[in-house]
Amino acid sequence: MILLVLSLIAAALHAAIVFAAAPLLTGIITKFRARLLGRPGAPVLQPYRDLAKFLAKTPILPDTATQLYQAWPFAALAATGTAALLIPSFTLGMATAKLSDFITLIGLFAVARAATMLAGLETGFGFGGAGAGRDALFGIFAEAALLVLVLIFVLIAGNPTVDGIAEFFRDNHTGISVSLGFALAAMLAIAVTETGRIPADNPAGHLELAMVHEAMLLEYSGRYLALFHYAGMLRLIAWFSLIASIFCPFGMADAGNPLSWPAGLILFAGKMLVLAAGLALFEVSTAKMRVFRVPEFLGVAMLLGLLSGVFLFVATRLGG
Amino acid sequence: VIHTLTLPIGLPGQGMHLGIDPLSMLFLLILAPQIIAVAIGPDRKSPLFWAFILGMILAVIAADAFALILGFELMSAASWLLVLRGDRRPATLYAGIAMFSGACLIPALFLPAGSLAFALILLGAGAKAGLAPLHAWLPRAHPAPPAGISALMSGGMVKVALYVIIRYGFVDLAGAMQPWWGTALIIAGAASVLIGGLRAALEVELKTILACSTVEHVGLIAVGLGIALRAQAAGDQNLATLALQGALLCAVAHALFKPLLFLGAGAVKHATGTTSLDWLGGLIRGMPKLGYLMLAGCAGMAALPLGPGFAPAFLLLHATIAAAATGGILGRIGFTALLAILGLSAALALAAGTRIIGIGFLGRPRTLRAAAAEEADTPALAGMALLAICAIPVALTPGLVLFMMQPVIAELIPGAAPVPLSYAPLPLAVLLVAIGAAAWAVLRRFGARGEREARAWAGGFGRPPPWLPFGDPLTQPSATGFAEPIQRAMGATILGAKMLDPGETYLLEPLRRLNLRFTRAAERIRRATIRQRLAFVFGALVVFLLALGISGG
Repeated sequence: MILLVLSLIAAALHAAIVFAAAPLLTGIITKFRARLLGRPGAPVLQPYRDLAKFLAKTPILPDTATQLYQAWPFAALAATGTAALLIPSFTLGMATAKLSDFITLIGLFAVARAATMLAGLETGFGFGGAGAGRDALFGIFAEAALLVLVLIFVLIAGNPTVDGIAEFFRDNHTGISVSLGFALAAMLAIAVTETGRIPADNPAGHLELAMVHEAMLLEYSGRYLALFHYAGMLRLIAWFSLIASIFCPFGMADAGNPLSWPAGLILFAGKMLVLAAGLALFEVSTAKMRVFRVPEFLGVAMLLGLLSGVFLFVATRLGG
Repeated sequence: VIHTLTLPIGLPGQGMHLGIDPLSMLFLLILAPQIIAVAIGPDRKSPLFWAFILGMILAVIAADAFALILGFELMSAASWLLVLRGDRRPATLYAGIAMFSGACLIPALFLPAGSLAFALILLGAGAKAGLAPLHAWLPRAHPAPPAGISALMSGGMVKVALYVIIRYGFVDLAGAMQPWWGTALIIAGAASVLIGGLRAALEVELKTILACSTVEHVGLIAVGLGIALRAQAAGDQNLATLALQGALLCAVAHALFKPLLFLGAGAVKHATGTTSLDWLGGLIRGMPKLGYLMLAGCAGMAALPLGPGFAPAFLLLHATIAAAATGGILGRIGFTALLAILGLSAALALAAGTRIIGIGFLGRPRTLRAAAAEEADTPALAGMALLAICAIPVALTPGLVLFMMQPVIAELIPGAAPVPLSYAPLPLAVLLVAIGAAAWAVLRRFGARGEREARAWAGGFGRPPPWLPFGDPLTQPSATGFAEPIQRAMGATILGAKMLDPGETYLLEPLRRLNLRFTRAAERIRRATIRQRLAFVFGALVVFLLALGISGG
């Protein structure tokens, strides 16, 4: 009983942290990037101000929009938010642990993607359609590569939930294996594409020919745009938490042991900062690639995943 | 429990046996909603239509090989005539495939249980189900007849063919089961999944898209059945149960959302005179009810969570992962590649579903007819709504549906323990709704009130001339344009520059060339002069005598 209550409290705390800190994470990455480029950069709280600004503005509905125009941002936010809720952050064993099946998460990301694509096609203007078509293409390769990685994790950990995988990697010293190294590289490539960062897409860019994610939102404004932006921030923190909990579950707390929570929280913040710094460094040191290079980039990720699988099978064969 | 009934008609002295066991019950239940939905739909119900339905039902409740063949061939013949009424061109191809499948099935049912019998059944029923490489006819023939018939062909007829594979693979030939049966099914299924998914994302005709997606789903079911057969031949009952659950649930879900989408395509055709996505657009304004139903159907087709298509996909993916944990190293690598193919096709299905809704139902109308489309008739909507309501339990309580399917699984895998489903849609739905409601409340509390309508920015294009009330259709993305990135990155590799199905390029086209060569040869013989004929007869006589002399010593 007390365990159940604790796991519920942990889940609530997790939800509060993730939902509150998502804009902060985006602000920190932007700040890091600006500093690396030699600019002072906007304050880290700027994303909150942007969201407040969008909220305060009256949305403008395009005359060619249909009655579903308002539904897409809610669908995208709800799906991304659910995924962010299910992915553990500072602790394992939350009340939502059973639900955090990796394939369900992929499905939730697919819902968010579909809602964003439909938002792009909503008013029937060229950029939105082009962005949606490109996003569909990215999704195909990203999803295939991600599923191969899921296979690796599930086979190593023997558990299909993110929570179980993280717990296995935290408690068992699997060591540094070639398989997991390849899997990490592939996972990072997928994460960069899925969150729409350089080199796959540019979140700050408004160069029409190269836009993907932003292109689909061009006809949105006011509070609906705020929902889409917030969903994007949630997606970023969700992917960061996912990578951190699978590849660096070190120090994650147990929901049943509240004394371990503070350490877990501090470590979580540390991991997020390190990942943010890493992403910022990666972004300033690479150029955005052409749209049709991205499938090749993801194809390499898929190949790495397959190789990782082959190494895993060979290793189990040799070990067993 | 098998209830059997002997009819005094049929083979002389033996009659005809009909029976219902859990497996036939399941397939009857799969057929029932779509038959009712089409029957209350707006299409004209000719005697042929009822013959087609009778054939499907007879094939499913047959308890002997004669009744099965009778039902199967009745279904084939009636559907051929129905296709012929719709469009003459694919009907010939369809008749050829139907004859091929009959020619494979009839001997197979009377052969002793063994690999040869299974191979023939796989060829015969697989051709009828649209399993690669014998699938190229399906995207041509299924869209040809009126929408109701298309719905039954895609939702029902391919299921009957799969039923034959299940009935013989798991029950009647179970004694001679070999692991390679499963491997063959998996390979054929994986090829169907990839080709069907890719073509569904590239085609422009709505009904052709749906037919290609049927190829994909048949492939998914075949993959599940294949994994189950392999696992059972290897004695791994848990894996076999998991895979079989996925395959059967996929059959149930597909039999609900695919007829729904086909009926919707029929309503679109009725309202606008076309089903080409490039001539539609903005339909959800004029036909909102149809639009919402199509949205639900596309969510099922794209295997989105909380839709009917997700639980089967979830089970099949987990079965593939579990299969990769067993067996030899080549098999494991094969299953990893299979998982990548399933992932590709899931995202392709998402692209296809998004494209149907986004290009056809959202955006601006591309033609005046699309702009003037009015809501579909009540019968069509009622049929679609029935299917959508039947899909709710599959979407939200798949665990319950699987529990009710347990007798079927126990029949196919004797001694199987139920494997609980680890996907729980209801809590997910609660979370999704809670987050959506919270977002709505925040917007309401802190956001600016009201909205203002203005002309769309539309990429900065100037105001369209007055004779284009919905803007220039050329300035909005077309179905082809939306799929262009996919075509460039994948389609060109798999389908070639001409966008031809590999089943056509490598199977039908060589057959067509062979046919042409034989025809030419026959024509040459027919046109031979009297001297050539005499010379031929003389030569034949010499050869015959020589052969006689040599063999006689």
